[in-house]
Amino acid sequence: MSSIRPASALTEVTRVLLAVAIALAVAFLIVLATSEEPIKAFRTFLTAPFSSNRTRGLWIDDVAKLTLTGLAFSLVFQARQFALGVQGQVYVGGLAASFIALSPIGVTPLSIPLGMLVAMCAGSVWGFIPGYAKARFGASEIVSSLMLNYIAIRVVNWVIRAHLAPPGSGQLNSPDFPDASVLPAIIQGTRFDLGIVVALVMTGLVWFVLYRTVWGLKLRLVGHNPTFAEGAGIRANVVMISTMTVSGAIGGLLGAVYVQGRAFGRIAIDFDGNLAFEGILIAIVAKSRPLAVPVVALAYGYLRQGAQLMGLRTDVPTEILGVVQALIILLVASSFTLPGRAFIARLMGRKPEVAR
Amino acid sequence: MTDPILKATGITRIYPGGTVANDGVNLTVRPGEVHAVVGENGAGKSTLMKVLFGLEKPDAGSLTVNGQKVDFTGPKDAIEAGIGMVFQHFSLVPSFSVYENVVLGSEPAKGISFDRAKAIATVRELSQKFRLTVDPLPAVRRLPVGQQQRVEILKALYRDAQILILDEPTAVLAPQEVEELFTAIRALTAQGRTVIFIAHKLPEVLEISDRITVMRGGKTVGEVETKDVDESSLAAMMVGREVSLRVDRAATTGERALEVKNLRLVAGNGVTLADDLTLNVHHGEILGLVGVEGNGQAELLEAIAGLRPVAGGSLTLQGTPLDELTVLERRDRGLASIPEDRIAQGLATGASVAENLAATRLDDPRFVRRGILNLKGIRDNAVALIDRFSIRVGGPDVDVGTLSGGNMQKVVVARELSEQPQILLVNQPTRGVDLGATQFIWKSITDARDGGAAVLLSSADLQELLALSDRLVVFYRGRIVAAFVNHAELTSETLGAYMLGIETQTPEAMAGAMR
Repeated sequence: MSSIRPASALTEVTRVLLAVAIALAVAFLIVLATSEEPIKAFRTFLTAPFSSNRTRGLWIDDVAKLTLTGLAFSLVFQARQFALGVQGQVYVGGLAASFIALSPIGVTPLSIPLGMLVAMCAGSVWGFIPGYAKARFGASEIVSSLMLNYIAIRVVNWVIRAHLAPPGSGQLNSPDFPDASVLPAIIQGTRFDLGIVVALVMTGLVWFVLYRTVWGLKLRLVGHNPTFAEGAGIRANVVMISTMTVSGAIGGLLGAVYVQGRAFGRIAIDFDGNLAFEGILIAIVAKSRPLAVPVVALAYGYLRQGAQLMGLRTDVPTEILGVVQALIILLVASSFTLPGRAFIARLMGRKPEVAR
Repeated sequence: MTDPILKATGITRIYPGGTVANDGVNLTVRPGEVHAVVGENGAGKSTLMKVLFGLEKPDAGSLTVNGQKVDFTGPKDAIEAGIGMVFQHFSLVPSFSVYENVVLGSEPAKGISFDRAKAIATVRELSQKFRLTVDPLPAVRRLPVGQQQRVEILKALYRDAQILILDEPTAVLAPQEVEELFTAIRALTAQGRTVIFIAHKLPEVLEISDRITVMRGGKTVGEVETKDVDESSLAAMMVGREVSLRVDRAATTGERALEVKNLRLVAGNGVTLADDLTLNVHHGEILGLVGVEGNGQAELLEAIAGLRPVAGGSLTLQGTPLDELTVLERRDRGLASIPEDRIAQGLATGASVAENLAATRLDDPRFVRRGILNLKGIRDNAVALIDRFSIRVGGPDVDVGTLSGGNMQKVVVARELSEQPQILLVNQPTRGVDLGATQFIWKSITDARDGGAAVLLSSADLQELLALSDRLVVFYRGRIVAAFVNHAELTSETLGAYMLGIETQTPEAMAGAMR
């Protein structure tokens, strides 16, 4: 029973759109200052992701991945746990799926489902550790999950370089997976593959679990007020650990989708390009509501891809791309404290909180 | 008749969003009087005070001080006009000394340095003049609440407040401290100061005030001379109908329900919170836990609820030791709890009313089948309870956080009392709740008692304890120091003397009231 009142949902959408508009305006000014052909560059930024089947594939591939990481973050955020371990889970999950793909099972149809399953198990272990450490020793999940990210990234990169790359080749990636271990394309010759289906199925599943199961209700009650949950007989620690574990499984699944996806079809060092972390933004903007996650991912993925294509096709320096992306994140994330909020609220006919 | 020192005419304040907090409110305060403003929660008292102190700008109406029309843009203007305000929640710096807190913001200076000697002398002089006894030197955090309040009053007097607004000043005080506050108020008015006293405890209002303005639903419904009214006529004005706050005593007392034996409770840092607590509660009785807050009553209730580990002694519920049981197992055995702070402990304010009403019964097949929520069952349960406990709410899917305090408390009460409990723990059931809801909550508690619940009631409001309890035990510094069987002659003053450790009871007298 997510009580989303239409008026407030509308306000949020207005607020986010306003922030995006401001971000785009600022981005345009930056492009204006750094490009010889600012109009062309900016047009590329705004239209390129939709210009061809190939770029649409790039966009949708990002959307799938952003959705999965957004879901993983939404789940822990709903339980008010600030576990930031999705990136680490992606790495251990990706490595686990790669082991399956490169093993004899890799050539069988079992490879993809089994790879995903094993990746989820690996990710859930990575998610469980900070949860257990918090429940048992009171360790801050922020710190422990971040440290686990570093450990996972370094170890996985080392395994790839030292053990999975063809010996003596100097490559920083594994050999290509057998075809049976690569997600089938939905539109041939693009990255538009099974990943987006996996992401949408997960969206439905996470929604169902959160709003239709007793575990989800407990999770949300713990998130709203752990003291109250304890008093009501809910074991908050159990809920907390299980939430981080399940979120870890989604992170692990994203790892599998990465390496099995048509974009890779193998595992390479630093393969997530920091995308896993951007799930925080997705979850914040979506207010941790699973059904809003793919929508936010769709919009954000478009801007993200647009910026990257602008970097490839125009003279805007790549460093500037980072600035533009960071600006969008900054403005969208801070749209929750934009001045004029009360004004917008009144415009929407919604009562602002009254302190009496 | 003297000219009013402060006159508010037709004050209207509409919050953005359309809530009319004040609607043409009039207030006339004469110099040198104690003027009480009474009304239920949400009657608009606080908004009116904020207008008087410049914290809110009225949308209509005018304000005159000493016959001069004023237009405050902020508290600074109000202070300059000679108005001082003491809020319910103090704004003191805990680590600063008393005198530092008093002069903070307008310190006496010697050249560019702070003239401490002068500050201390001024504070001492003020506190003697107005009989607000407080040592200027210790840090504020070391003072009891009553003295902190005096520091707040001194702060206003130091800024030469002629009109002092006290917002529910007695809510945090023990009876003896209330008496001291009243002495100080009388000293203030004797020296020509004027006091505006906001309250909803009527006996106190009747004792201290000269005149009373009654507010209801954002409007002034009357201005009366205190000598012309009594408690019931005042209550009727406040609520708009006759209210009776009398409850019937338990008819019979049943079997022993809960035994507490030599219980010892220790905080995480090793400090003993309660020691050697021994008491019994029977089915069909209400046992009142009396004491200034922080003397172990709340901790005892938490231990029984299973939220606090027991360091020694035993808890036995109907013959079963409680120690081994989880919170859920205790609840399954009929334990219910209305916690002290509904927002911090009693509710998940971001979740819906329906979810809150089901939260303690997530193993009930009406709500959950094979791990899947039965949304219809949860909703039906909420609809039924909203009706039965007359909770004013738009519907079961509304977030609890949007309800008024009284209605939030009713959600807690509805959940805990929807099934007849065996043992009911109640802490501050009507704090910040208006008269109408108080009446309803008291009735719900006595109904649970008559249905056979053994009730443990803790409250800062002695009138509440005296009205509801069949027996009372007094806590002082984590120990039970006195026990009484409630009777008509038992007064809050008697209890207060034990609460503050002024009097002690002989073991024999205590044993007489320990069934």
